[in-house]
Amino acid sequence: MRWWTALAGALALCAGPALASEDLVSGLSQDTVEITSNYTGTDIVVFGAIEHLEDTGVNDVVVVVRGPDADMIVRKKDRIAGIFLNRDQARLQGMPSYYFIASTRPVDKIAASYTLQRYAIGLSNIMPESFRSHHDPEPFRLALIAHKQHDGLYGETQSGVELLSPTLFRARIPVPATVPRGPYKVDVYLFRDGTVISAQSTPLFIDQTGLERRLYNFAHESPLSYGLSTVLMATLLGWLSSVVFRRND
Amino acid sequence: MEIYLPIAEMSVHWLIVLGMGGGIGFLSGMFGVGGGFLLTPLLIFYGVPAEVAVATTSSHITASSMSGAITQWRKRAVDLKMGGVMAAGGLAGTVFGVWLFTVMRRYGQMDLLVSASYVILLGTVGGLMLNESLAALRASRSGAPARRRAPHLWMHGLPFKMRFRESRLYISVIPPLLIGFFVGVLSAIMGVGGGFVIVPAMIYLLRMPTNVVMGTSLFQIIIVTSAVTVLQATTNFSVDIMLALFLILGGVVGAQFGVRIGARLRGEQLRLLLALLVLAVGLRLLIGLVVRPDDPFSVTTVLP
Repeated sequence: MRWWTALAGALALCAGPALASEDLVSGLSQDTVEITSNYTGTDIVVFGAIEHLEDTGVNDVVVVVRGPDADMIVRKKDRIAGIFLNRDQARLQGMPSYYFIASTRPVDKIAASYTLQRYAIGLSNIMPESFRSHHDPEPFRLALIAHKQHDGLYGETQSGVELLSPTLFRARIPVPATVPRGPYKVDVYLFRDGTVISAQSTPLFIDQTGLERRLYNFAHESPLSYGLSTVLMATLLGWLSSVVFRRND
Repeated sequence: MEIYLPIAEMSVHWLIVLGMGGGIGFLSGMFGVGGGFLLTPLLIFYGVPAEVAVATTSSHITASSMSGAITQWRKRAVDLKMGGVMAAGGLAGTVFGVWLFTVMRRYGQMDLLVSASYVILLGTVGGLMLNESLAALRASRSGAPARRRAPHLWMHGLPFKMRFRESRLYISVIPPLLIGFFVGVLSAIMGVGGGFVIVPAMIYLLRMPTNVVMGTSLFQIIIVTSAVTVLQATTNFSVDIMLALFLILGGVVGAQFGVRIGARLRGEQLRLLLALLVLAVGLRLLIGLVVRPDDPFSVTTVLP
């Protein structure tokens, strides 16, 4: 009796998110992305292979890239006394700053919605860790997802995972210039007949370098000297122009 | 070539930013104003976040005022004492204004504060200027001298009198301090130098001789806008040095051309044009406040 419960427990553990990845191997074209001054966006490539392929069943691969989590405030404008101003707001804690999903087929055809919700697969399944609002938070969450999609920070391609052969796959992940820096996570899921049978997670680090990043750091780390430098630059340029154009006065 | 603005967090073409600085510099040279009241709304229409637009414009005004102030200094047309008293009031106003700015930003009402202040101030100043320049145009046509306002006698009853030698005045320090304070608040929340408030106030309220008005107001504007830049950088991290650099470079060159064109136009016509421009900007901001936005939602990421 005891032996059976132990086995059932072990099986339940295997079905959880920490799956053995022996059926799946994957890698990234690069482990780090350096965003430099003249950076206008790049692609990283996620590639991999499905091992121990069985003839029966339908295999699907889903790639999810998540940027570092952040707290976000969504505000809604309303008319008050004839003027539109921000009124209702919701604070969504722990939303990904970047989210991109690629799959072999539309995700709603790959698995049931509760499975997708559980693994946070698909734009509509991005949930914050917690809400802080006096109102129904759902419209705020949807507005946030729409905004991030518009900015190119959230995205999905429903056939973004190409199967080069029955076992080899490849996906392109766009990294626009505005991505936040920090540790990213690339999760690759292998679905068979609508269940996750294997998953693998790979870290990706995105960093910004170059003059702009140094200026950003300068502004945030030593704001007083940054402010004084800006004033100094302005007064010097003003003085210089009065010298250069003096003869013409 | 695209440049990335590190604080505004957006990519812009450098020619566009240079052109904006140049255009505003041209107008400011032509009309003899700082141009902050045009530059801040222009940057906001272009998509720069309101807090970055306000804070960065301050440094643009520092530069354009610096170049004008040096010219006035050479003519010995600066009342340092009066400028210093007004700047002292201005610094207090700046601290208050930046505090107000930070509080409104926390409650998500920054855009409202900026737009509403602009609509009220531009509407009032534009209306007064339009009225006055039309009256002056009519008067110059009929040959009658322009009417001047009655002196404010109440001012002479105030305590803490001080002698201002260059302005040939012996008045209480309270009015210049209050004017300075008011302009300091405007400077912090609107990103303006406030010349269009200080100059009339100096002439009509303080009764300063017109030859020192321009130099003295520029002197105090430099001090106040420098303080705003430093305070905004330290409290709201909203000064974009790259944006400032390109705006200033365009601005100082544009101003030189503006001065030449302005010298060919008549004073009343210039004031009428400026009044119409001020009213147009105010109207555009008013429309932004009362028309239903396409997307009522906005998203802000909270820095950890």
